[in-house]
Amino acid sequence: MANSLTRFWGQGSLQKHVVQTGLRGFSSQQNPEVEEEEEFRVLSLRTVKQQFQKRREVKKDPVTPPRSNRMAVDQDWTAAWPGPRSFHPASVPLPLRQGFTERGAAAPSKFANAELMKIPNFLHLTPPAIRQQCEALKKFCTPWPKGLETEAKWQRHFPVEVITTDYLQALPTIRNPEARRVTVSLKLSDLKFDAHARDKFLRLVGDRYDKDTDILTFVTDRCPLRKQNYDYALYLLTACYHESFVTEPWEATKSEADMEVYLFGRNKSKLSAEEILNWNAAEGAPKVEPSPSYGQSVEQLINEGENEYNLTKYKEEVKKMLNIASQ
Amino acid sequence: MNFLNKLVPQVALEVQQLSKSAIHTSAVCCRVQSGRYRITTKRDRPLTYEMANPPHFIGHRKSWNSWNTSTLKDSLRPSQTAIEDLFIRKFVTGTWHALVSSEIIIKRQHNTIRIAALIRQAISPRKMYFLIGYTEELLSSWMQCPVTLELQTVADKKDVVFKYI
Repeated sequence: MANSLTRFWGQGSLQKHVVQTGLRGFSSQQNPEVEEEEEFRVLSLRTVKQQFQKRREVKKDPVTPPRSNRMAVDQDWTAAWPGPRSFHPASVPLPLRQGFTERGAAAPSKFANAELMKIPNFLHLTPPAIRQQCEALKKFCTPWPKGLETEAKWQRHFPVEVITTDYLQALPTIRNPEARRVTVSLKLSDLKFDAHARDKFLRLVGDRYDKDTDILTFVTDRCPLRKQNYDYALYLLTACYHESFVTEPWEATKSEADMEVYLFGRNKSKLSAEEILNWNAAEGAPKVEPSPSYGQSVEQLINEGENEYNLTKYKEEVKKMLNIASQ
Repeated sequence: MNFLNKLVPQVALEVQQLSKSAIHTSAVCCRVQSGRYRITTKRDRPLTYEMANPPHFIGHRKSWNSWNTSTLKDSLRPSQTAIEDLFIRKFVTGTWHALVSSEIIIKRQHNTIRIAALIRQAISPRKMYFLIGYTEELLSSWMQCPVTLELQTVADKKDVVFKYI
């Protein structure tokens, strides 16, 4: 009864009938039709073999043929392969093969070939692609400044050379502690010194100065950042330069024993030479000085040691100073 | 020599002292087994190209599965990179369960990780797209860098078989 009711409720258009059947439901009369419709449920104690249910067929999408079959010969390859990517056989219309096989057998083809996927490819860097990228970058370029065409020209304007290293690495981080190192180098001849300042500067910088190439190099790596190291290197250069022009009071107490080289000007030999030259000179007459070339030869003789060349030169100078005619 | 050391520590000590003083000659005891496959009696073990070539052919007949710069001299994080690669391999083979039919190739460029593999066409493309997104998303959140999956599908398992031994 109830079954039939609900069945009718389901059909919205038959509301009239519903009311009727509902009325009928309250009557004591049984409806023979409804009883016939109901299925007689059998109590089954043994497990009955279940009816074979049709399996839902899995719809498989047909595998599309490789894209390379449909590629036009004159297609824009940069659009087909725009960026770096592992090799994919369906996208590359080339009959590639890779792999080692026994003699006579063909090498494995490009399909299902893991070796081709391993090796880095440059399919995204074909000459047309590079040309395109260069064209795109051109609008950001500025012309090379005039007057700086050759190295000799720009070295006059930019005497200080700064060397830093950037590290590219395959890591999640872009930091590399080695990148903090800064090397600042310049030619010592680009700095202006007097004799005292130069001597003091070379003492201050120590082995950072290379005598053979005349290049001064500061390498700084004590700060964690490159900027800090660069600033520190420039600070060192500035501080050393200005400090070398300061004459401390104790520097005047340097005696002859402290001298590291023989200087003609502040030694007895100059006085003796002057005495010889001014022998019997009239009172008030201008003092005759020994020639600088004589002083040089004396310095050379004492600083470099006695060798044949220095001795000969000294002899010549002495003869010249004393006006002795050479035979 | 290794098995001797394990068996008798005293012998090992003596051997050590001996080897310091004299030239040591013996048959090669070390057995190289890793990355090699045994021949079956029925000759029905399928091998991929990668499996068919033992490790000493790396760089000659086959190439590396991990491409990165961390093993160069004075490079950073060599151990972390190796562990991460191992984790990626485990994760991908587990996520693409019974679908990965080749070794997983991991290439690192700058901060990007590119993962390439051969996948069997056993599931619908829809599920595959989901798995690609899932793998990329999870791996990139763990590795803290962009991860790209570059897969190639094969119709059948037998497509990747190079030979049977």
